[in-house]
Amino acid sequence: MSGVGTNIRALTLTLAAMFLVASVGVSYWTVFASDALANDPFNPRLIALTKDRPRGAIVDRNGAVIASSDKTADGFARSYKDRSLAQVTGYASVQFGLAGIEKAYAESLIGQDAADPVSVWKARYLGERAPAGAVVLTIDEKIQKAAADALGSRRGAIVALDPRTGAILASVSVPTYDPNQVADPARAQGAMDQLNKAQDHPLLNRATQGQYPPGSTFKVVTAAAALESGFDATKKLRVDDPYQPDKSWGDYFVRSASHAHGLFDMSDGFRLSENIYFAQVGLQIGGAKLAEYAKRFGVGAAPKVELPASGGQLSESGSLDKPTLVADTAYGQGELLVSPLQMALIYAAIANNGVMPTPHYGAEVRDADGRVVRQIAPGPGGQVISPNTAHALTTMLVGAVEGPGAFAFGGKVPGVHVAGKTGTAENRPGEAPHGWFIGFAPAEAPTVVVAVIVENAPDGGVTAAPLGAQVMRAALGK
Amino acid sequence: MIGAQRLPVPRTRFTELSLLFWVAALAITGFVAVVAAETSSFGPAAIAVPVVFLVLMLALHLFLVARRFHGDQVLMPIAAGLTAIGLVLVQRLASDLVLQQLSWAIIAAGAFAATILIPKDLTALARFKWTWALLGLLLLVAPLMPVIGREINGARIWIKVGPASIEPWEAVKLLLVVFFAAYLEEYREVLSRSPRRIGPLPIPPVPYLVPIVAMWAIAMVVMILEKDVGATALFFGIFLAMLFLATGEAFYALIGLALLLLGGFAAYQLFGHVHVRVDTWLRPFAEDLRFDAGYQMVQGLYALANGGLLGAGLGNGMPERIPVVWSDFVFAAFAEETGLAGALALLALYLLFLYRGMQIAVRAPTTFLQLLAAGLAFIVALQTLVIVGGNARLIPLTGITLPFVAYGGSSLVTNWMLVGLLLRVSEVSNRMRGGP
Repeated sequence: MSGVGTNIRALTLTLAAMFLVASVGVSYWTVFASDALANDPFNPRLIALTKDRPRGAIVDRNGAVIASSDKTADGFARSYKDRSLAQVTGYASVQFGLAGIEKAYAESLIGQDAADPVSVWKARYLGERAPAGAVVLTIDEKIQKAAADALGSRRGAIVALDPRTGAILASVSVPTYDPNQVADPARAQGAMDQLNKAQDHPLLNRATQGQYPPGSTFKVVTAAAALESGFDATKKLRVDDPYQPDKSWGDYFVRSASHAHGLFDMSDGFRLSENIYFAQVGLQIGGAKLAEYAKRFGVGAAPKVELPASGGQLSESGSLDKPTLVADTAYGQGELLVSPLQMALIYAAIANNGVMPTPHYGAEVRDADGRVVRQIAPGPGGQVISPNTAHALTTMLVGAVEGPGAFAFGGKVPGVHVAGKTGTAENRPGEAPHGWFIGFAPAEAPTVVVAVIVENAPDGGVTAAPLGAQVMRAALGK
Repeated sequence: MIGAQRLPVPRTRFTELSLLFWVAALAITGFVAVVAAETSSFGPAAIAVPVVFLVLMLALHLFLVARRFHGDQVLMPIAAGLTAIGLVLVQRLASDLVLQQLSWAIIAAGAFAATILIPKDLTALARFKWTWALLGLLLLVAPLMPVIGREINGARIWIKVGPASIEPWEAVKLLLVVFFAAYLEEYREVLSRSPRRIGPLPIPPVPYLVPIVAMWAIAMVVMILEKDVGATALFFGIFLAMLFLATGEAFYALIGLALLLLGGFAAYQLFGHVHVRVDTWLRPFAEDLRFDAGYQMVQGLYALANGGLLGAGLGNGMPERIPVVWSDFVFAAFAEETGLAGALALLALYLLFLYRGMQIAVRAPTTFLQLLAAGLAFIVALQTLVIVGGNARLIPLTGITLPFVAYGGSSLVTNWMLVGLLLRVSEVSNRMRGGP
């Protein structure tokens, strides 16, 4: 039996070793993880800094102020001018941290943009903080207002972007909320409790995070896949409502919205938005081809953008293995889910000679003296389809708006040619369908793409198309 | 060698007095810094508190000198320094509680003085071991009683006595150490001279181990009823450490640790509050936890991260963002404002306390006193490790208090009694050996 003295020494050594471990743990958090946690968007210290010092302003592309720090009796308070941009600007709250652009450009808004290492270094090691500059957004106040007015109080989203650069010109998500309440320490808790309880999710940015079946607006993807697989767009296909290719489908049919019977080519299919035509095209080119083009157009992958965005899905399983699923997906139903931003990007690729741009909300970061610290231009994404395919699709999409009996006639803008497509997306049974319109103009040299979704719109795409036209008019100055 | 000739007992306790000057410097600069940073809290209390506290510590010192007390001179100043840090932090984090904490410090000083006087003979403690065990059990179940029991922050570990709520658990840990020390001294030879072994596993003689295991089991059950996992772990830790000290069988400790992990896993599966504790430890930053159950942990880590090497400076951090910072997260608050340097210095103080306590234990003349002193020093070290580890996310967070520093009366009083007992043990060996 060892002496108690020996045991005491052994225990003391063990405890001393544990003190060493504890010291290492404390060093990790105080020194090694310090930078990462100091810049964590939810760290109240990051926001507290701006109570005594103004936080940088958020302005639109022409310098109109969207968010600013205003002097009050006890320091500075953040104020937001445009409720329609609530989900874009987000908020800076001592209790709830940062969200939206406030989060994405957190360092820039306290004068420590990564492109300005001297300021970062000074702030970190000398405690000298550069006065905050501003973050300039790609948003255009005029187009934003047109979009907010167009949607009004209808639940849904509108996103407008420049197909050449991916710059987002307008981004509306309804219902919205008042970020001023979340930024105000006195009202934040109550406001947040209410927002979290709200059934219709006002905090959600429907433009980038909404998950909707695309309906007929998706037919461009089927058409692109067909054209690039050598499918002849002028070939007439027989349409007889209701449709099934063979008896093995049992009581499952594809239905035509207009109960059509007749011969359709691809232009007719777009103009009259004929589901049975595109179902047959989808079955002819096959599920693998359709899945390949959906993936090329970004379905299932969240777009790279500064705000939280979702990627949607091609189907539950990720592939198109059943003929019924191929047929339904080909006209935009099945198990497809996409966000309005994703649909805008698909049409932007068609408008931009087949090259999909990378979307962005930020245009540039400026310092306190107005000098540009960093320009935000993420550049083109990839060549999704050939320029020829893009031009052929554009021509057919112009027909879908302007042709005789076109479904999307509401998308017309006087004085310019508009390419576009409506969609009426079937929802859960018993719920009114979602109405879509996606269009771009001028068709010969597009400068704006608009995607509109109106949730539970009784007339589907017919409701959405005029809203898209209003936004395009504002963007084109018509 | 002087042999049997008795050394003249020094009249003054010079080391203790000079170390108390260091405590005075700490208390005064601490209060000045905190009050200067928060002008709003400036009031007579801000000056009175450190002055009253220092007078109190000086009085304790003079009391020991007057008693010609011959024990250790380092532990009391360390405890005084830690208590001073505690008062500075209470002033910093919850200034409306500082007078209350000062009152507790006065009571704690009284309790310390009482431990120096009573009992006259320390070994007498060993004779009443079953009394301590019974008293411990009674105190342990007291919070479960209908009239006096109180549930605060989800743990039913409080009893109401007059205007104050006290945590009987704090006293139980002292009683437990005394009981274990006495019991193990009596049976350690039988326990460790195990005739049978299976591989490396010593089979303890069952009749002797039963009372200990039974007491442990009862305590476990009670603690689970009282929903305090931290105290259960600490309780068990004391049991294992004392068993190891007495027998030298590391295998007992390993088996015990395995049992603890098993019990922890069962509690994780069975009890919602344990599940939440573990979840917030594993992934405090998860979206569903960071504003909910993980909020306190996350805010604590932000505080540590803001500390850096040298800290934000007393009064200049934002530790008040951490919920219940004055009891659960004083360490993180201290680290935020004094940095890694301050945090390591604080840990060094505890290490010094441990070292000094264990040194007293090694030098103690009887096995009972050795086990007693080592057990007492172990309590302080383990509590420190558990709460610092919890603050630094090395282990799940528990409601264990940082000894002497965290806000709370029961803990302060028992910890000062613990110091008193350690001093008494050191006095016994000093008188017998004629040491310093």
